[in-house]
Amino acid sequence: MSMLSSYLTLAAVLFCIGLFGVLTKRNAIIVLLSIELMLNAVNLNLIAFSKYGVNPSIAGHIFSLFTITVAAAEAAVGIAVLIVLYRSRATVNVDEFDELRR
Amino acid sequence: MLDNLPVLSLIAFTPLIGALIVLLLPGARSNWLRATAIIFTLIPLVLVLLLFAVYEPATGGGVYTEHSTWLTIPLNKEVLDMKLQGGVASFNLAFDYHLAVDGISMPLLLLTGIVSTMSVLASVHIRKRWKTYYVLFLLLLTGIYGVFLARDLILFFIFFEVTLIPMFFLIGIWGYYGREKAATRFLLYNGLGSAAMLISFLILIVTLGFSVSEGSNFLYSANYDVLLGNLSDPNALANIDTGNSRYFGFFLSDNARWGAFVLLLIAFGIKVPIFPFHTWMLRVHTEAPPAIVMIHSGILLKMGVYGLIRFAAFLFPEQLQSWTTVLAVLGVINILYGAILACVQREFKLVLAYSSISHMGIVLLGIASLEEVGLQGAIYQSVSHGLISALLFLIVGSIYERTNSTNLSDLGGLAKAVPFMSGILLIAGLASLGLPGLSGFVGEFLSFLGLFGSMKILTAIGVLGILFAAVYVLRSILSITYGPLPERFAEMKDARFIEALPMITLAALIVLLGVYPSILTDLMQNGFNGLLEQIQTRMGG
Amino acid sequence: MSTFFAQYAWLVPVFPFAAFAILTAMGKGMSKTGAWIGTIATFASLVLSLCIATERLSGNAEDYSNQFTWIEIGNLKLHAGFEVTNLSTMMLVVVTLVGFLVNLYSQGYMKKDERISTFFAYVALFTSSMLALVLSDNLLTFYIFWELVGVCSFLLVGFWYQKPEARAAAKKAFIVTRIGDLGLLIALLLLFWYMPGHALDFTTIHNVFDSQGGGAISTGITTLIALLIFLGAVGKSGQFPLHVWLPDAMEGPTPISALIHAATMVAAGVFLVARTFDIFDASQVAMTTVAIVGAFTAIFAATIGLAQNDIKRILAYSTVSQLGYMMLALGVGSVTGAMFHLLTHAFFKALLFLGAGSVIHSVHTQDIREMGGLGGKMKITAWTFGIGALALSGIPPFSGFWSKDAILTAALDKQPILFVVGIIAAFFTALYMARLFFLVFVGKQREGQHAKESPSVMTIPLIVLAILATVAGFVETPFNGWFGHWLTGGDAEHHASGLVMVVSAAVGLLGLYIGWLMYVKGTIRRDAVSSRMPGLVTVLERKYYIDELYQWLFVKPLQGFGKALELFDEYVVDGIVRLSGYSVSALGRLNSRLQNGQVQTYALTAIIGIVILIVAIAGRRFW
Repeated sequence: MSMLSSYLTLAAVLFCIGLFGVLTKRNAIIVLLSIELMLNAVNLNLIAFSKYGVNPSIAGHIFSLFTITVAAAEAAVGIAVLIVLYRSRATVNVDEFDELRR
Repeated sequence: MLDNLPVLSLIAFTPLIGALIVLLLPGARSNWLRATAIIFTLIPLVLVLLLFAVYEPATGGGVYTEHSTWLTIPLNKEVLDMKLQGGVASFNLAFDYHLAVDGISMPLLLLTGIVSTMSVLASVHIRKRWKTYYVLFLLLLTGIYGVFLARDLILFFIFFEVTLIPMFFLIGIWGYYGREKAATRFLLYNGLGSAAMLISFLILIVTLGFSVSEGSNFLYSANYDVLLGNLSDPNALANIDTGNSRYFGFFLSDNARWGAFVLLLIAFGIKVPIFPFHTWMLRVHTEAPPAIVMIHSGILLKMGVYGLIRFAAFLFPEQLQSWTTVLAVLGVINILYGAILACVQREFKLVLAYSSISHMGIVLLGIASLEEVGLQGAIYQSVSHGLISALLFLIVGSIYERTNSTNLSDLGGLAKAVPFMSGILLIAGLASLGLPGLSGFVGEFLSFLGLFGSMKILTAIGVLGILFAAVYVLRSILSITYGPLPERFAEMKDARFIEALPMITLAALIVLLGVYPSILTDLMQNGFNGLLEQIQTRMGG
Repeated sequence: MSTFFAQYAWLVPVFPFAAFAILTAMGKGMSKTGAWIGTIATFASLVLSLCIATERLSGNAEDYSNQFTWIEIGNLKLHAGFEVTNLSTMMLVVVTLVGFLVNLYSQGYMKKDERISTFFAYVALFTSSMLALVLSDNLLTFYIFWELVGVCSFLLVGFWYQKPEARAAAKKAFIVTRIGDLGLLIALLLLFWYMPGHALDFTTIHNVFDSQGGGAISTGITTLIALLIFLGAVGKSGQFPLHVWLPDAMEGPTPISALIHAATMVAAGVFLVARTFDIFDASQVAMTTVAIVGAFTAIFAATIGLAQNDIKRILAYSTVSQLGYMMLALGVGSVTGAMFHLLTHAFFKALLFLGAGSVIHSVHTQDIREMGGLGGKMKITAWTFGIGALALSGIPPFSGFWSKDAILTAALDKQPILFVVGIIAAFFTALYMARLFFLVFVGKQREGQHAKESPSVMTIPLIVLAILATVAGFVETPFNGWFGHWLTGGDAEHHASGLVMVVSAAVGLLGLYIGWLMYVKGTIRRDAVSSRMPGLVTVLERKYYIDELYQWLFVKPLQGFGKALELFDEYVVDGIVRLSGYSVSALGRLNSRLQNGQVQTYALTAIIGIVILIVAIAGRRFW
C-alpha cells in the first residue's frame, strides 16, 4: 500500500508542477512541455494502479501506452501549430493568441 | 366503415403527407399548390365529420383508439436491482403511440377541421412564397390534430412543439411590419410554456407513470391512461407515502403534485392566455397574416384550454378544487381586463385580441366551476369563440386587402360599399357579444351557470364582461360599417365567392350552434365523467 | 273549453320569421314584393292570434303549454317552450295588431327607401321575436327573445346607418338596455340555483313564490331576484335612470318608433314584471321600489316632454312617462291596471307616432316650431291625432281615461302620495299634448310648406287605431270589470272611485285648457314660464342634464380607466417581460467578459471549478 501511495504522491507532485506550468507560463513551448508533464503524471498513476491497485490487471499498461502515443501525436501537432503561429506572428507568447475571443 | 381504418392516424397525418406532396410540386404553380393544400385540409375535415357521424357519446370513442408501443428504452437494470435488492426482470422507459378521441376532444377536432378549412381558403390573400407557406400550414395542421388526439405525454409534447415551429415562420415571414418581433415573442413565451410542461411531464412520468407488472417488469410509462389509472388506484406507488422505504423515489408527494400542477397551469395558461401572460398574443393578433390568426385565435388558444382540462384538471382534481377561487379570480380578471382594454383600442385587430382575452376568461370560469355544466360550457365557449374569431379575422383580412387599414378611425360606412361583408361582420360581432340565438351566448351562459352555483359574487362580476363586450363590439363594428362612407371606398367590391363561402359557412355554424346546442352538448355527455367521479370520491373520502 | 288554436300558437311567431328568412335570402331583388311578404306574414299571425283570443274569450279556457328540452347536461335540463295564457293572448293580439298596421303603414312611409326589403326583414324578425317572447313559458326562453327584440330594435334604430346620430343612438339603445339585461341574466342565474329542481318556467315560479310561507327561498334572495328582474324591466321599458336611450332611439324610422318604442318592445318590461309578479309580490321592498321608480319616471319624463321641440321626442318622453304609470300600477299591486294601460297605450301611442310620421312624411321636418296649421290640409291625420291626444291626456270617454283611472285608483288605495304624483303627471301630460297638437295642427300655416294628406295605405291604419283608442277602454271600466277578471282570473275587485274619476278628468281638461290658452288663444303668453324662470326651462330642455351626467360619471371615467389600464398593460405587464429579457441579456454580457480568449484563464476557471466540486463532494462525507 505504501508503495502505491508514494507513486501517487510523486504523480500528484508531477501533475501539480505541470498544471502550474500550464497556467502561469507565457511561453507556448513551456506550456506544451508542462502538458507532457501532466500526461506523464497520469501515466504514472495508471501504471501504479495496474500494479498495486485493488484489481491488478493489464488494462493500466495498455492505457498508458495509448496515452504515450497520443501524447506524442499531440506534441507533434502542437509543435507544428506553434511553428506556423510563430511564422505568422513572430512570437510564441500565449497572451497574444486570443483569436478565440473574436 | 371507419372501423377498419386507422382513422385517427389518418386525421393526424394526412396533412403531413400533403406537406410532402406540396414539397414535390413546382413552386411557381400557385394554383396546384393551393389545390393540394385545400385537398389535404379537406381530407381530415371529412374524416372528422365521418367520425362525428358515427361517434357514440354513450360509449365514447373507445372503438377508434389506436394504441401501440412506440419507443421502449431499456434502463439501467442493475441500479434498480441494487436499490431494490434484487428481483428486477426488466426495467424500461416506454413511450406509446396512443391516439384516442372522447367527448372533450371531439368538439375541438370538429373546430380544427372547420377552421383550418376556412383558413386555407382565406389564404388567397397570401402573396409570396406559396410553397413554403402551404408546407408549413399543413405541418401546423398535423401538429394541431395530433395535440387533440395524442394520449401519451411525450407524443402530446411532440405534437405541441410541432405546432410552434411552423407558426413561428408563418408569423415571421408572412406577417405585417412588426412580424419578426411578434414571431420571436411568440416563440419565447410558448417555449417557456413548453419547458414548464416538459418538466411537469417528466415529474409525472417518473412517479405516476411508474408501474410494476407481473413478473417484476418495471416500467416508466408516459401513457396518459396509465397515469390516470395510477392516479385513482390507491395501491399505486405514486399514491403511497412509503417514507424511507425502497420505493420512496416513486411517491408523488403533495408538494410535488402542487409543483407539477402549477407548472401545467403556467404552461397552458400562457397558451390560453391567462393574465399576465397575454402580451405575446396581442402582437401575434396584430402582426400575423389573417389566415394564420384564424388558426391561432380559433384553434391554438384552445389547445391551452384543452391542456388545462386534459392534464391540469383530470390529473390534479384535488389541487384544482382547492384553487377554483384562484382560477375564477384569474378568469374574472381576464374578462374585465380584456374587455375594458378592448373598449379603448383604436386598432380593430387589437380590439379583437383583447376580446379574445376576455372570452378566454369565460372559459376559465367554466373550468373553475368544476360542474359538468361549467366544464361543458368551457368547451362550448372554446368552440364558439374559435368559430367567431375565425370569422372576424376572415373579414379583417378581406377588409385589409381592400382598404389597407384596419384602424377604426380610417374606416367607416362600409355597409354602403360592402353590404354583404358588413352584414356578416355584424353577425360575428353580435355573436361575440353573446347574443342569444348565436353560439357565443350558449357558451357564456353555460359557463356562468356552472360557476354561479359555487361562486355567486365572482360570477356576477364576471357577467359584467358581457356589458363591456357590447360596448367594444358595437363601438368598433359600428365605426367600421356605419356612418358616412369616405370617398375613397366608394369603388370597393364586395366579397368574392372564395371569400364569401367561408364567411357564410362560419356564420351558418355560429347560428346553428346558437339555436341547436345539443349537437355539441350531446357529444360531450360523458366526456367529464372521469373527472367528476374523482372529485366526488375525494369529496366523499 | 277547447284549446284547439292554442296548440298551434307556436305558429304565430313562425310566420314573420319565415318572412324574415325569405327576405334575407332573396336580398335586394324584391323591393316591393318584399314589403308585401312581411305584411302578409304579420297578417297571418294576426288572424291566428285572433283565433286564439276568441277561443279564450269565454274565460275558462285552460292555459296551454308545451315544451321541449333545449340543452341537456348531466341531469340538468334547460327547456324551451311556449305557453298560452290570457295574459300572453292579450299581448299576442296587441303585438300582431299593431305590427300588422305598422307594416301596412310602412308600405307608404318607406316607399322611397332603397333598402325597403331590409326594413321589412328587420320588422319581421322583430315581430317574430316579440311574439316568441310573449309566448315563452320560461325565463330562459324569455331572456333569449328579450335580447333578440333588443337587437332588432338596435338594427332598426340604426336603419339609416349613414347618419352618425343614428349610429350613436343605436349603440346607446343597445348598451343601455344591456345594463338591464345584465340584471335579468343574473336574476336568471339566481333563480336557476335557488328554485327547487332548477325550474325556470313561469308556472313553477308562480307556485313557489305564491305560497310565500313555503320558505323555499328566503326574503333577502327574493328581494334581490325581484330587483334584478326589475333592473331588466327598467332598461327595456326606459324607466329612470336607464330611460336615456329611448328618446334617442327616435332616430329610427317613425313606424319603428310606433311599433317598437311605443307599443310593444318597451312594454316588454312591464310584461316581464307582470309575468313574474309573484316574485315581486313576495317582497315588500321590491314592490315599493317598482312603485317609486314608476311614479318618479312618470312625472320626471312628463316634465321633460313639456320643453322639447322635436315631435317624436315629445312622444318618446310621453312613452317613458306612460310606462312609468304602468310600473306604478304594478308597484301598487294592480297587474290589471298595468296591463290595461299597456293595452290602451299601445293603441293610442302607436296612433300618435304614426300620426307624427304622417306629418313628418308630409312636411319633412320634426321640429314643431316649424309646423302649424296642418289641420286644414291633413284632415284625417289631424282628427286621428287629436283622438290619440285626448286618449293620452285621459279625457273621458277615450281609452286612456279608463286605464289611467284604474291605475290612479289603485295608487290611491295604496299610498296617496303616489296618487298625487300621478295626478300631477297627468296634468303635465295633457299640457304637453295640447302644446304639441295646437302647435302642429292649429294656427297659421307656414310659408313654403306644401303639406298634403298621406296616401290611404297610411291613413287606414290611423283610422283603425283611432277607433281602437276610443273604444278599447270599455273593456274595463269602474262599472265593468270584465278585463281584470279575464286577465288575472281573480274576482272583479273593482271599486269605482268617483273622486279619482273626477279629479283625473279635471286635471286632463285643465291641462288642455291651459294649453289652448297659451298656444291658440294667446291669453297666457308662451314665454310666460321661460321668461320668469329661464333656468328651469333650460334644465328641462337639456333633459335635466342626465346625458351629460352619465358622460361625466361613467363614460369618461371608464375611458380614463381604460387608458390607464392600457398604459399599465404596455409598461407594467409588458414592461416586466421586457425587463426580464433585458436582465438576461445583461447577465449574458457580463458573463461574456470571462471569455477573454486566453486559454489559460479558461483552464484556471475549469480547475477552480473542479477543486470546488471535489471539496464539496469530499467535504460532504465528513459533514
